[in-house]
Amino acid sequence: MITTTCSRRKFMGAMGAAAGAYLARPVMPLARAVPASRVAVSTCREYGPEVTGALARMFDQLGGLEGLVRGKTVAVKLNLTGDATTRLGYLPAEITHWVHPQVIGATVQLLGQAGARRIRLLESPMSTAEPLEEFMLQANWEPRDFSSAAPQVEFENTNYLGYGRKYSRFWVPDGGLMFKGYDLNHSYEDCDVFVSLAKLKEHVTAGVTLSMKNCFGITPCTIYGDDSPADEPSLTPRGGRGPFHEGNRLPSKSAPPPLNNALASKDPGYRVPRVVADLVSTRPVHLAVIDGIHSMAGGEGPWCDNVRHIQPGLLIAGTNCVATDAVSMALMGFDPMADRGTAPFETCDSTLRLAEQLGVGTRDLNQIEVLGTPIARARFNFRQS
Amino acid sequence: MNVDRNWVPMKWPCGPLEIARREKSGSSNADVKETLEAWLRPSALNLLEGTPINCLVVDWAGGGPEDSAQQQALKPLLEAGGKLGISFVGKLAPKQGTGTELAAARAAGLSAVMLDGAPAQSSGLPALRQFPRDKAAWETATTIFSATDNVWPGLNLQTMKGDTALAGPTGIPWVNSNAWFSLLARELAPGKTLWLDFDPPAASNLLHPADYALAVADSRAYGSRWIVSLDDKLRAALPKGDSQARDVWKRLCEAIAFFNNHREWQTFKPQGILAIISNFRGDNAYLGGEVLNLLNRRQVQFRIIERAKSQPPLDGLKAILWLDNEKPGAEQQAALLAFVQHGGLVIAAAYWGTPEATPIKKDPSLGYRMYNLGQGQIAVADDGFQDPYQVAVDTHLLLSRRNDLVRLYNPESTNCHLSGESVSPHNGKRLVQVLNYSSEPAAYVTLWVNDRIESARFWQFGVAEAHTLTGRPASPGTEFDLPPLSVYGALEFEDTNL
Repeated sequence: MITTTCSRRKFMGAMGAAAGAYLARPVMPLARAVPASRVAVSTCREYGPEVTGALARMFDQLGGLEGLVRGKTVAVKLNLTGDATTRLGYLPAEITHWVHPQVIGATVQLLGQAGARRIRLLESPMSTAEPLEEFMLQANWEPRDFSSAAPQVEFENTNYLGYGRKYSRFWVPDGGLMFKGYDLNHSYEDCDVFVSLAKLKEHVTAGVTLSMKNCFGITPCTIYGDDSPADEPSLTPRGGRGPFHEGNRLPSKSAPPPLNNALASKDPGYRVPRVVADLVSTRPVHLAVIDGIHSMAGGEGPWCDNVRHIQPGLLIAGTNCVATDAVSMALMGFDPMADRGTAPFETCDSTLRLAEQLGVGTRDLNQIEVLGTPIARARFNFRQS
Repeated sequence: MNVDRNWVPMKWPCGPLEIARREKSGSSNADVKETLEAWLRPSALNLLEGTPINCLVVDWAGGGPEDSAQQQALKPLLEAGGKLGISFVGKLAPKQGTGTELAAARAAGLSAVMLDGAPAQSSGLPALRQFPRDKAAWETATTIFSATDNVWPGLNLQTMKGDTALAGPTGIPWVNSNAWFSLLARELAPGKTLWLDFDPPAASNLLHPADYALAVADSRAYGSRWIVSLDDKLRAALPKGDSQARDVWKRLCEAIAFFNNHREWQTFKPQGILAIISNFRGDNAYLGGEVLNLLNRRQVQFRIIERAKSQPPLDGLKAILWLDNEKPGAEQQAALLAFVQHGGLVIAAAYWGTPEATPIKKDPSLGYRMYNLGQGQIAVADDGFQDPYQVAVDTHLLLSRRNDLVRLYNPESTNCHLSGESVSPHNGKRLVQVLNYSSEPAAYVTLWVNDRIESARFWQFGVAEAHTLTGRPASPGTEFDLPPLSVYGALEFEDTNL
C-alpha cells in the first residue's frame, strides 16, 4: 500500500500563479478564511467547434493553462455517471447527464497545446472493470477523438485497481469528516495536475453535481461498493456506493475505517456531502471545468424522478473547485450560501459549506472574481426552466 | 404421409390419460376434470377456427391401463379435426413406440407420433424425436424434432424480490430465453425444425396471464416453434367464452399469424462477425450453451459453427471463439491460422498456434495473453475458460464494442436479434427483431445499427402494415427511436450495400 497524504504542496506546486493564494494557506483549522478565486463563465449555445474557442478564452481569463500543465501529467476525472446505455428519453447521455465529448476533446486539445506531457482520462464506470475506452464505445463515443486531440492521451477505469499494483492511500488533512483516509486507484496519485470535468446539474442526494460531487466517483467500488468483500478489495467493482450513501455496510477492512459520526448517521444527505468534502480536501482539484451547454434538471441522471432536459448554454471553469461550484450554483439560480433546508439542499448538507470549512475554497461570491459573462446575464434557473 | 414443416403445433391435453396423470400428481379437482373433458369434445375445436394453429399434440400412449381408453376417447376429436384440416401428433411416453401403439395411431388418423427414441418398428407413420435439451441427440433429429426442459421466456421469477427484479452481475435484469438453443439447433440440425416444448408458469391466471405472445416471439424470431401450451385457468375459461380469456387467446394467435405472414424471415441467417466454434456436446455442452446465452443477452451478434466442420466457413468474420479444450484438427488449424494471419482474432482456452510466437500482456484488466501472428492475434485465457459469464464478457471486450453491429439504448429487459438474407451484414435485406421480456411496455428504446440507413420498415403484432421509421444519423451508424414496445417489433432494412 502506498501511504501518502497526497501533499497539497506537491499539487499546488504545479498550479502556477493562479493558485498562488491557495498554496499559501496554512494548515487548516475548521471554518477558517479561504482564498479568493477566479471563475470564468461563458455562454455557448451548442456543442461544436465553438466549444474550443470558448474554453480557450476562459482558460486565458484564468491566467492560462501553460503555467499549470506544461511538462506535467494531467489527470482528468470525467463525469460519466450510470451505465452507458441509459438515456433520458431518446436523448444521448452527453446531452443530459454526461459531460459532452466535445467538451472533453476541447479540454484535452487545450491541455495538449499548453504543453501537458501526458493527459490521462479517468472515470469509474458503474459495476465494471472494462477499459474506459470500451465504456465510451458503448455510448457510441469514439475514444480516438480524444487520443488524437493531444500527443499522449491515456484512459483508465479507476473503479478498481486498474493498471496500478496497489491502491494509493489518501489521508484527509485534519482527520476528515467521514473517513480519515481513502484508498483510491493509483491514477489519482500518479499525476501532477488534477482536473474535474463535470456536468452542470442537480443531484437528488447532494443537491448539485458540479466539480466537487464529480469526485465522489474517484472512489473504487472494489472497496466502497455494495458487494465489496469484507476484508480485501474485490478484483472487479461490485454494485454502487452504498457504504458511502447509507452506511449500509463498511468498506473493505483494507481501507481506513469510518469515523464515529460516519457510523452513527445513515442519512445520505449527511454522509455524501461529507465524503465529497473529504475527497476534494485530500485530492485537490486544480482545474474545474463544468459543461452546462445541455443538461438535465431535477436530478443527476435519467433514473431520477421528474427530470427533464434543459439547455442552459453555459461553460464554467475555475482553479478552485468550491468557488467554481459556487458560481455554478448561482448560474443555476441557487444561492451558494444556502444550506440544509434551502434549495437545492432541501434534504442534505451543503458540500460547498463543508469544503469551505475544510479550507478548500470559498463559496462567497463577494470573494470570487467572475470573469467573462456576468452571472446576471448568464443565469439559467434550473427550478423555473 | 409426411410431416409438414408449416405445422403450427399446440398441446391439447384432454381425456383419460391426462386425468389419470393429474390425479396421480395431486393436481386434479372437479374444475380441472371438467376442463379436460370439455377439451375432448369435438366442439372444442371451434376455438381454432380462423387461427393459424393447425396441428394438435395429443397424448396417445403413456404405458398405463388408460391408454386404450384414451385412444378410444380421442376418436371423435380426431375425426372432427380431420374434417377441419387439423393434423394430430400423438405423444408416446418413453418406450411406448411399439408396433401396437403405432398401428393404432395410424389407424386412428394421426399424422405423426412424437417419442423419445426411434420407433421400435416401422409403421409408415412419421416420428418426431423429442429429447431434453441438455441431452440433445442432434444426429438423430428428425425433420421436425422437439426439445423439453426449456424455460418460460421473461424476467426470471426466481430472481424477483417483491416486485423488483434483481440484477445479475451486469446490473441488468436476468432474462430467461430459449433463443440461444434455437440458434444452436439451426447449426447442429440444419434444415430441420425445432419445436420447443415448455409450459406456462403455474401462477399464470386470467388477471395476470403468462406472456404467450412473448413465448411465440422468443421461439419464432430465432427460427424455432413453440408448442403452444395454455395454463389451466385459460383453458377452463376459453370454452365458456370468457372475454379476458378470449383476449389473451387473440393476442397469442395474432403473434403466430404475424410470423406466418413473414415466413421469408425464417430463412434469414443470423449475422455476426464473431463465430463460436464448439461441438456443444458432452463436457462442452454446458459452457457452450451458457456462453451463447450470455453473448446473446449482451446483444453480441454471432454465428455458430460446429467444430466437426473441417473447413469452417470463416468469410466475413473478424473473430472466432474456439470454446473447447480440444485443439483443432490439422485442417481446421491451418484454416484458423490463415484467418489470424490475415488479421483475424481467435480467442481460445489454450495456445495451439505456431511455436515461435511470444505472448504479450495487452491489458491487465483482461486475463489473456496475446500472440501476434501475421496481422492478427490469438488471445489465450490465462486460466482457461472457467466461468461462462466471464468468457462472454471477455469475448465482447476482446472483439471490442467498436465491432458491435447493433445495440440497444434504454434496453431494460429488451433484446434484439440481427439476421439477413446473407450471413454478411453488408449484403441483402436485413432484419432486427426486438423482444421485450418484461410484462411492462418498453419505452424510449433506441436501436443503434452500425450502418448508414435512412429508414426502416417497422412491424409489430396486430398491425397489418409496417410503418416507416426514419433513422437519425449517429457517429458512427444510425439510431432508430422505437415506439413503445409491448412484446415485439421488427425493423426491416433494404439492401444497405455498404
